[in-house]
Amino acid sequence: MIRYIIKRLFSGLVVLFIVSFITFYILSIIPGDTALMRLGTEATPELVAQLRASMGLDLPWYERYIHWIGAFLRGDWGESLVFGEDVFTLILQRLPVTITLAALSLLIAIPIATIMGVVSAIYQNRWIDYVARTLMQIGEAVPQFWLALIFLVVFAGQLGWFPVAGYVPFEEGMLDSLHSLLLPAIVISFGLIGILIRIIRSSMLTALQQDFMLMPKVNGLPGKTAIFKYAFRSALIAPVTTVMMQLAGLLTGTVLVESIFALPGIGRLLLVAVEQRDILLLQGLVMFITATVVLINFLADILYRFINPLIRLGGEESA
Amino acid sequence: MSGKLLSIKGLRIHDRAGNRLVDGVSLELYDDEFVGIVGESGSGKSLTARALLHAVPSGLSVHYDEYEVFNQQIASLADQKKRELIGKKIGFVPQNTIAFLHPFLKVKQQIGDGYQYHFKKGKHESLKKAKELLKKVGIQDPERVLNAYPFELSGGMKQRVQIASALMTDPELIIADEPTTALDTVHQRQVMNLFSDLNQKEQIPILFISHDLHIIRKYCQRVYVMHNGKIVESGPTEKVFTHPEHEYTKTLIASTLFLTETGTVQ
Repeated sequence: MIRYIIKRLFSGLVVLFIVSFITFYILSIIPGDTALMRLGTEATPELVAQLRASMGLDLPWYERYIHWIGAFLRGDWGESLVFGEDVFTLILQRLPVTITLAALSLLIAIPIATIMGVVSAIYQNRWIDYVARTLMQIGEAVPQFWLALIFLVVFAGQLGWFPVAGYVPFEEGMLDSLHSLLLPAIVISFGLIGILIRIIRSSMLTALQQDFMLMPKVNGLPGKTAIFKYAFRSALIAPVTTVMMQLAGLLTGTVLVESIFALPGIGRLLLVAVEQRDILLLQGLVMFITATVVLINFLADILYRFINPLIRLGGEESA
Repeated sequence: MSGKLLSIKGLRIHDRAGNRLVDGVSLELYDDEFVGIVGESGSGKSLTARALLHAVPSGLSVHYDEYEVFNQQIASLADQKKRELIGKKIGFVPQNTIAFLHPFLKVKQQIGDGYQYHFKKGKHESLKKAKELLKKVGIQDPERVLNAYPFELSGGMKQRVQIASALMTDPELIIADEPTTALDTVHQRQVMNLFSDLNQKEQIPILFISHDLHIIRKYCQRVYVMHNGKIVESGPTEKVFTHPEHEYTKTLIASTLFLTETGTVQ
């Protein structure tokens, strides 16, 4: 197990390194001059050249990469052009919003989708299954930005149940803070519910057909034991994978929802970095996003080992 | 032959397309008997066993004129009572494929489920009983087996676990569906001796389903021969084997070589 963890961490580092290299290269070849953007179009060429030299922009990209990665590894992620603050600090500031939003969305989506998915598999082709399948397709098909706008108009505007926009920080009261994130979380969970019902339903349908489902039946066990202890247990892997993948997506920012609800999260930071060509911020965000995805994949693999003993005891390879 | 334990009349099983998979099967089982159902794959013998256990695969429809177990008409019982009667009093031993034990659960997490439910017992008591039964079916180190996942056990081991599992509720009848199919001959003999002991020493009647004529002939007192969803012949095993009446039985027996007691081929 420890060998496995070390191996995974090492391969994660390799991924991070490769991603950093590719991002840096791409950002260096796209048109647009950071120095010019900072000084404005009125600046004299001499001034621009001076700033370029002081920012190290006149060096070839690979030299700049070596400078950047060296500083990055020392914890100096550079300074954001737009915000004039340390990139790492900026990301840390935005993280609580994004994490809370992600957690809240999953807390809403997982129980609803699990119940709907399991019930619809048990009562396949009955009315409850049709309800679940309809919900699943609506959840998957409805565009998030549209749903966000409708919810804003109805629940925040007309009914006044939620604030229209903005985020209340934790320090100003936990309940108010959660309340300010609830509507966007509901919007996000809508899509999640769709995806999760699909995956839970199909995993359960497969599990219910397995040979081992015969034993609780011939042993005369009640249906709920058969379903939860036997079927659900073996149906867990695919939904766990999906939840982890979605979690990775949520933690690395939900650009649309954060923009519409004016939430200061990672997604909006990313949007600003791209729009304003804030190279160091963008590079820092890409590194953060990659590290998060790598870490969550790693956690997912550890989780599989708990769910499926075959992976745990069968050897080093993961599912 | 004394009391009648189980009797089913006119069992019919259809699939969705309306094909008759089991067609009017009637059979009976009496106290202390070791009865075989023999037939080729697809003859409907396993489905018959599943119907007796009220556990046919979904999508199939089951009808019968009468089904009586332990002096109770199954059709007259509510679902839960039916489940409890069959689940508790009939032990089932499936084929020894890995798939019948839950692959993600340790043996100790699944062996006692029926016992705990039907006898309202706790985990501790059920593990104690499981340990005794595993010893009884010839497992030397029950502790290790209880803590193992099914994929860590050999085929013979798994089959012993399934037999022990079937015995957990002190069944008054055992239905075994091809329990020796994938075992080598040594394990096959050990498992069969176990069934034989259960039948002779503990007086547990056994309904034994197999396509293996040698086993049926050696262990069963009576035999039903199934072909295309019907019972084509039945009677005391020796009589059926030495004087088969139905064409199918004759072909079946003619296609198999039997070693006699003296070692000559019959």
